[in-house]
Amino acid sequence: MRDCRNVEMLYLYLEGELDPAERRGLEAHLEACPACREALAERRLLHEAFTSLPPLEVPPDFALSVMDRLPEPAEAKARWLAPLVAGTGSLVVGLLGFYILTGESLSDVLVAVSRSFSSGFGRLLPLFAKLLKVASLLLNIASGFLTMLGKGLVALLSSLGTEGISLILGLGLLLSLLLFFGAKRLLSSGEKA
Amino acid sequence: MPEDSTLVSKALKGDRKAFEMIVRKYEQPLTNYLGRMTGEREAALDFTQEVFIKVYCSLGSYRPAYKFSTWLFKIASNHLIDHWRKKKLPTLSLDQPVDDNEGSLTPQVPDPGPSVARKFELAEIRQKIERALESIPAAFRELFVLRHVNEFSYEEIADIKSLPVGTVKNRVFQAKEMLRKRLEGS
Repeated sequence: MRDCRNVEMLYLYLEGELDPAERRGLEAHLEACPACREALAERRLLHEAFTSLPPLEVPPDFALSVMDRLPEPAEAKARWLAPLVAGTGSLVVGLLGFYILTGESLSDVLVAVSRSFSSGFGRLLPLFAKLLKVASLLLNIASGFLTMLGKGLVALLSSLGTEGISLILGLGLLLSLLLFFGAKRLLSSGEKA
Repeated sequence: MPEDSTLVSKALKGDRKAFEMIVRKYEQPLTNYLGRMTGEREAALDFTQEVFIKVYCSLGSYRPAYKFSTWLFKIASNHLIDHWRKKKLPTLSLDQPVDDNEGSLTPQVPDPGPSVARKFELAEIRQKIERALESIPAAFRELFVLRHVNEFSYEEIADIKSLPVGTVKNRVFQAKEMLRKRLEGS
């Protein structure tokens, strides 16, 4: 501080915000300048008051009252919903890919799997077997739908050949990833500071 | 007490106790800040509660690369601004010149008049500062409170308010000189 025009430096000096060279310069100036010494003494007392303002009283049960008002954690939902969405997407893509590549009837595979489950457990748990039958019926419907969809896709892809199939599979995987990250982002959406 | 980022990570996994620890750690600093900004303790407590709820809902967007306390105060500051906008209360942009009743703040030559600080004992000065704080523009008051009540560094305040460090330093200085002038006139 070579002259008396910078009071801001006095505050920064009191806060310890000046670098060593600036501090030395200011201290040298203060030795020679009674007006700045006076100004510094005044700001020193103010600075002490500024930095020791008392805290406001917070009730002892304040944290508990905050906790009582918290909503259900959005993240918890995201943790099971996002994988579910991604898993469903991947399953659909996988089944379609399997059908397109092997040409096997999806309905046959799915029904065989469900029947083997139902016959295995059916003797011990009749109720469970009935549930499986219902499930197999639903799977039949779903597989019929997928078969129709697959046939349509095969007809479409037959004109494209192996490269076309690879392209569709790649796009399917990309869609799964987008579903996963999109769902996760949506479900964990919060305010960005 | 565990690190803030550890507590946030646990809270994100559903550990409410971890979030309670965050609340207990920051309830006092946030109330101090919001109390000085609103001028009312009860309103400050309501605001503090709302800010914690906002923080809880936004935890997923917190990035541990940033200091949690600055992120928290950024949310608090934005919450205040939203409130003032909704209430259509006048707020002062930092880019506007300061219209100070006691005259311009630009002359920075130490005046040779009687020392203001010597007129009062420290406790009395604190009381007067509290009252004077309510009369200075909110944009300046906020930076002063963040610096001297909440003890953030100038760099942290610059992060919270998205301002250059030099601007923050200058505005805190102006706030202090406004307070000094008001004390001088009291």
